[in-house]
Amino acid sequence: MATFTDNPQPGTLPQWLQQQALQQRMGIALRHKRLGVWQVRTWGQLAAEVEQLATALQKRGFVPGASLVIVSRPRPEALIAALAAQWLGGVAVLLDPLESAAAQVPLLRELHSEWVFAEGHEEIQRLRAAGLAPRLLIYADGRGLTEVSQAGDTLAYEQLLQQDSDQRLEPQARAERTAFAFYRLDAGQGIEQQRISHAELLQEGRRLVHSEQLGRQDEALAARAFAAGGQARYLLAPWLIAGFRLNFPENLATRDQDRRELGPTLVAGTRETYERLHAQVLARLPEPGSWRRRMVDWALVAHPGALQRHLGYWLIRRPLRDVLGFSRTRAPLLVGEGLTPPTLAFFQALAIEVRTWPDPAQWQRPESWPAPLVNGWIEDSTQPA
Amino acid sequence: MAQTQATKVEHLLVLENIGLSFKGVKAVTDISFAVAAGEICALIGPNGAGKSSLLNVINGVYQAQQGRIHFAGAEHRRMRPHDAAVRGIARTFQNIALFKGMSVLDNVLTGRTLRRRSSWIEQALRIGRAGGEDDRQREAAERIIDFLHIQPWRDTLVGKLPYGLQKRVELARALAAEPRLLLLDEPMAGMNAEEKQQMSRFIVDINRELGTTVVLIEHDIGVVMGICDHVVVLDYGRKIGDGPPDEVRQNPEVIAAYLGTRH
Repeated sequence: MATFTDNPQPGTLPQWLQQQALQQRMGIALRHKRLGVWQVRTWGQLAAEVEQLATALQKRGFVPGASLVIVSRPRPEALIAALAAQWLGGVAVLLDPLESAAAQVPLLRELHSEWVFAEGHEEIQRLRAAGLAPRLLIYADGRGLTEVSQAGDTLAYEQLLQQDSDQRLEPQARAERTAFAFYRLDAGQGIEQQRISHAELLQEGRRLVHSEQLGRQDEALAARAFAAGGQARYLLAPWLIAGFRLNFPENLATRDQDRRELGPTLVAGTRETYERLHAQVLARLPEPGSWRRRMVDWALVAHPGALQRHLGYWLIRRPLRDVLGFSRTRAPLLVGEGLTPPTLAFFQALAIEVRTWPDPAQWQRPESWPAPLVNGWIEDSTQPA
Repeated sequence: MAQTQATKVEHLLVLENIGLSFKGVKAVTDISFAVAAGEICALIGPNGAGKSSLLNVINGVYQAQQGRIHFAGAEHRRMRPHDAAVRGIARTFQNIALFKGMSVLDNVLTGRTLRRRSSWIEQALRIGRAGGEDDRQREAAERIIDFLHIQPWRDTLVGKLPYGLQKRVELARALAAEPRLLLLDEPMAGMNAEEKQQMSRFIVDINRELGTTVVLIEHDIGVVMGICDHVVVLDYGRKIGDGPPDEVRQNPEVIAAYLGTRH
C-alpha cells in the first residue's frame, strides 16, 4: 500500500495539509456530526479554510511565534484554528478539555495569551474568571453570548472567516519550531508543559503510519484529540501524513454512540477511553451465575478452543465489538499510560490487540514562565536541536 | 384593570377577570394579570391555589366561565387547545405526558405536527410537499435536541429515560412547535439541585436565545426569584401578588400566605 511517506516529505503540519489538498482535493478530511448528520470537509475545503483563517489572524496582528490558546472540546473549528496558528508559524496551546473550571482557570491566568479560541459561553466564563483580556477572542458557539461585547476583540469563528481576502498565504511554520504546547497543573498546583515541534510530531507520526500501515482508507474518531501530546503525535500528525478521515463526535457525551456508528479503523484512545468502555460493558453484563453470563464468560476466555473461537465470535465477541464501535478497528492504539490487566485482558478476549504508543514527552515545568508564550521568536532557546 | 387594558398592546398575554369553577367549587376567582412579550413570568402559590387551572385556561384545556383572554393582541373568549397551539401556545405538564414507547426524536417530531404543510395522503405516499418536508422537520427537531443537549438519547425510548431527562424531552417537544408562549407546569418538580440548575439554565436560554415568552408554575422560590422577571402569586384561587420578584418578596400578604410569617 502506497503512502505519502514514500515521497519527498513536507517538514511541517501545514505543509502536509497543503500536500493532501493538492493530492486528494475532493477526498474527505474531516467529518463532524451536527444536528444528527455527519457534515463533511474535503481536504481542499479544509486547506482553504485554514489559509483563510490564517490570513484573518495575520491581519489582526498574529505573528510567527505567537500562541493561540484553545479552550475547547474537540471540534473542527478548534482544530482549524490550531492549524491556522501553525500556518502562521505560531503555536497552538491546548488544555485538556475535560479539566474542571477549577483546574483550568489558574492555568489560563498564567498563560495570559493575546489570542484565544474558546468553544462557547462556558469557556468564555472561564477566561473571565481568569481575568484574561485577549487581543482577539474567537468563539465557535454563540449561544448565551448575547451580552458578550461584539467589539473587535471578540469574534465568532464564522465572522472571522467571512473577512474577505484575495491574498495567498504560504505556510510560515518551520520544522524545528513548536507546533503544539500542552499545559496542565501538577499535584502541587505548579504549571507543567509539553512542547512538541513540527519535526518531532512528524517523525513520530511517520513511524506510526509505517508501523500500522495507515492510508487514506482509514477512519479515526477524534474524541480526545486535544487531551495531551500523545494525541497530537499519534492522531493528528498521522492524519495529515496518511490523509485519512478524522471524525469529530457530536459532543463528548455522544462519543461512544458516534464511534459505534462510524466503526473507525484507527482508535487512538487513552487509558481512560479503554477503561471507560470496559466499565460500560461490565455494567451491562448479565447477572453473575445466570446462564447468559456463563455464556459470555465461556466466550471471553483468554485461550479459546476451536468451538469457543467460532461460536463465541458470532454469539458474543462480534456483537460486543459492534457495541463498542470496534467492529472494523484494525489499529487499536493506546496513547500514554498502559492499561490495567483486567481491561487489557478484556480487549484481548475480544481479539482487540491494543498496542501501546507511549508518550515520549515529559511534562516539565517551564524554565522561564511565561516567556515561551510571548509573541515573537524568543522561544528558540527552548527548542530541541 | 384600566391600567392593564391600557397597556395590553405591549403584552403578549392578558387575562381579564378570569373565573373558573367546577360544579360550584371556585378554582379561580376574578384573576387579572398581563405577561409582557419576552418575559419569564412565574405563577406561584400553595397547592390548590389554582395555578394549574389557570394554565389550563390559558391554553384552552378548561374554558373559563368568566373573563377574557387576549393573546397576541386578539381577544379570545373561548379557545380550544388546538387553537391555542395554532396561535403559538405550547405547554408541558405537571405529570409527564410523553409517548413512552417512542424515541426521543420521534417525541420531539410530534411537536412539529402543526408545522407540517403536506397532507396525510402526501405523507403516506411520500409525494408532493411531503418530499423534502421530512428532512426539514427532522432538522428542526434536531436543532431543539441540540439546544437542550439531549443528543445522547436521541434514539432512546422515552420510557427508559430517568425522570429529569423525560422532563427535558417534554420541554423539547413543546419547543419544537416554535411557540411564542411556553407554559411550563412545574418543570423542576422531583428534580435534584443539579437538575434544577440545568433546567433553569435551559429556561433562561429559551427565553433569551429563542425570544420565547415563558409562563411557569414553580414551587422552588429560589428558582423563581432567580430566573423570573415577573411573579404572580395566587392563594385560594385569588391573586394576592403581582410584580417583579423583589417587590413580591416584600408583599406582606404574600409573605403571610406563601412564604411564611416570621414569628
